[in-house]
Amino acid sequence: MRRPAKTCPVCESGARVLDYKDDRTLSRFLTERGKILPSRLSGMCARHQRQLATAIKRARQLALIPYIKGHTA
Amino acid sequence: MSRRYETVYIFDSALEEPAITEKLNRFHALLTKDGNGTISNTSHWGKRTLAYKVKKKDTGYYVVAEFQAAANLLPEYERAVRLDEGVLRYLIVEASREQPKAVVTAGVVAEEEELDEEEA
Repeated sequence: MRRPAKTCPVCESGARVLDYKDDRTLSRFLTERGKILPSRLSGMCARHQRQLATAIKRARQLALIPYIKGHTA
Repeated sequence: MSRRYETVYIFDSALEEPAITEKLNRFHALLTKDGNGTISNTSHWGKRTLAYKVKKKDTGYYVVAEFQAAANLLPEYERAVRLDEGVLRYLIVEASREQPKAVVTAGVVAEEEELDEEEA
């Protein structure tokens, strides 16, 4: 069975750019270990997936979101 | 040539607010000298818990500054920020041309739950 085409959640919300300072939004596109959700799973369009990757990496540098969730040491 | 930039500073949360303001003024003076740059906006997020330890600290005081400046002013400014012991970490990026807005929708959450099942 063919799955219906997924629409990009970011386009749908009407936003054109993703903000690296908005950790609440970014964390919706992370796996439970803190990896970036692939576009295959997030349904993200190519442009937003690229923006997402950059935004998440910046947010990680700023300690807004962890590199690895649940890692303490 | 002048561009729009954005800096996020993470200060040591042990610093008092006046000390942080004093440091910010010092950094920003480097950008605004000769009238080649303007600070358009500074917002203090205040104390926040860090997602992981930075320089053995659990919390940091976040400040976001937006400014317009000539590119040749940046190296000196960045050097001053980097050398400051009170700054745990900083990020200087070119500001995006469009204003980002929050993407917090219920739809995304529902979709993600469905996706987790797929991944399993």
